[in-house]
Amino acid sequence: MGLNAMVSEVEVFQIVAMFIKILVVVMVCMTVPPLMVWVERRAPALIQRRKGPNRVGVFQFRIWGLMQAIADAVKLIFKEEIVPAVANRRFFHIAPMIGVIPALLTASAIPFGPDIELFGYVVPLTVINVDAGFLFILAISSLGVYGITLAGWASNNKYSLLGSLRSSAQMVSYEIPLGLSLIPLVMIFSTFKLNDIVVSQNNILGWGVFLAPISFFLFAISMFAETNRAPFDLAEADSELVAGFHTEFGSTKFALFFFAEYINMFVLSCLCATLFFGGWQIPFVSHDTVVGILQNITEDYASLLAALVGMLTLIVKAAFFMWFFVWVRWTLPRFRYDQLMGLGWKFLLPLGLFNIAFTALIIAWRTF
Amino acid sequence: MGATLLFGIFAFLIVACSLMVVLAKDSVVSAVFLVADLFVMACIYALLGADFVAAIQVLVYAGAILILFLFVIMLLNLDIVAARTNAGPLEIGMFIVVLIGFGILVVNLLLGERIELLPPGDSGLSITGKGNSYDLGLVLFSKYLWPFEMASVLILLAMVAGVLIAKRGKKKQP
Repeated sequence: MGLNAMVSEVEVFQIVAMFIKILVVVMVCMTVPPLMVWVERRAPALIQRRKGPNRVGVFQFRIWGLMQAIADAVKLIFKEEIVPAVANRRFFHIAPMIGVIPALLTASAIPFGPDIELFGYVVPLTVINVDAGFLFILAISSLGVYGITLAGWASNNKYSLLGSLRSSAQMVSYEIPLGLSLIPLVMIFSTFKLNDIVVSQNNILGWGVFLAPISFFLFAISMFAETNRAPFDLAEADSELVAGFHTEFGSTKFALFFFAEYINMFVLSCLCATLFFGGWQIPFVSHDTVVGILQNITEDYASLLAALVGMLTLIVKAAFFMWFFVWVRWTLPRFRYDQLMGLGWKFLLPLGLFNIAFTALIIAWRTF
Repeated sequence: MGATLLFGIFAFLIVACSLMVVLAKDSVVSAVFLVADLFVMACIYALLGADFVAAIQVLVYAGAILILFLFVIMLLNLDIVAARTNAGPLEIGMFIVVLIGFGILVVNLLLGERIELLPPGDSGLSITGKGNSYDLGLVLFSKYLWPFEMASVLILLAMVAGVLIAKRGKKKQP
């Protein structure tokens, strides 16, 4: 029995489409951290009225110092890799990988465009179209904490251990308000599937942020705590803990932690845009209108071009939230640890429970 | 064909990880393999089409409970290697019980009826066609409403008891 008999044409097409989708998602995710390095240095310069890195360019073209990202990457890769003598070598090598793999995996559940028709097959523009939808993202991203915890422990350094213990307690605590904030959305859209949620937000008044404003408030706060970003960056509070859990890491290992942090931010930004801001849909313009306009230009590739427009829309929306992350970091001072825990358990958790009960009451009132 | 192969890989990984949990000398290594074990178990649920259960398995067990295990091990700096002694009568007795149970399982697998694995597919076990999570919610809030509510009350009781014990300990110290 040859290979042709075992695998049908449909399966070959599906496998090839899957590989292309994985490639696109990984490429986009891998482009984000270097770009964000540049943004993270230029944005505070803008906020604090200084110049920031604006020199590195190609030959005489400065292009706003964009090449600084590549210079930073080259510097990181060529640094000497140092493993502390007292470190637990096994986990010291594994920890950065455990950090970055869940980050990349979570990106696979984000729907980045409308379904497209290609050679007679319908291709959903998400790598895996799981029934559990965003629960999958929450589940996999909750594994990322092991990278941080093991990194701190394996370094055998008190600052690292303190940083990693802080970070894991913080991430486990804020997963609860994050999860609770999403339950009203499930109740409103009555599905877990992310693409179905996007499709039902075709009207701007039907956006998640207007239907469940408290949910968005909870999600936005938990988002910062989950990614260990300022004002909740206690895991790497540089004034107290040197650099927290990645104090002992250098070179490519540090770069991996860096990638994990920015990819996590990007995925949460995409998730926020998907759940609360209509995902790949352009505000005020329905998907059918976009396809209609594009059909006037090209008859055959209208649905493909519409998918591309959808992708760009999602990236613009996600870019806004990435900017929001940086904006908040350079605006708000860091919380104290007990304030952070108090906020999580004494304010956000009851508010999340109240939000669920409130939404349920409204839905019940409108139904009966 | 593909599903059976994947099931074989996952089953092998579960057994290997479980063995490592028990045999590893370092308690942190044990805990990490327990995480891997629970994660692969979620993979088997996903293979059966039970997406919701798989996600909850990873979210609750691997993501939340095991991190607390790791937390305690790191904070107390547990050193099991030093505490390990030669097997006493208790350990030997436990080993015999486990061996008998395993023997019964093997005999049952060889002689008993074949258990049909549920057919994997895109919609999984969906009866209504609206997805596995929808079905699960429907069943939980109709047929199994009382057991479900009882379980939630039980968990609440445990939580209240935990808070109470923690508070009582504090009051004694002025």
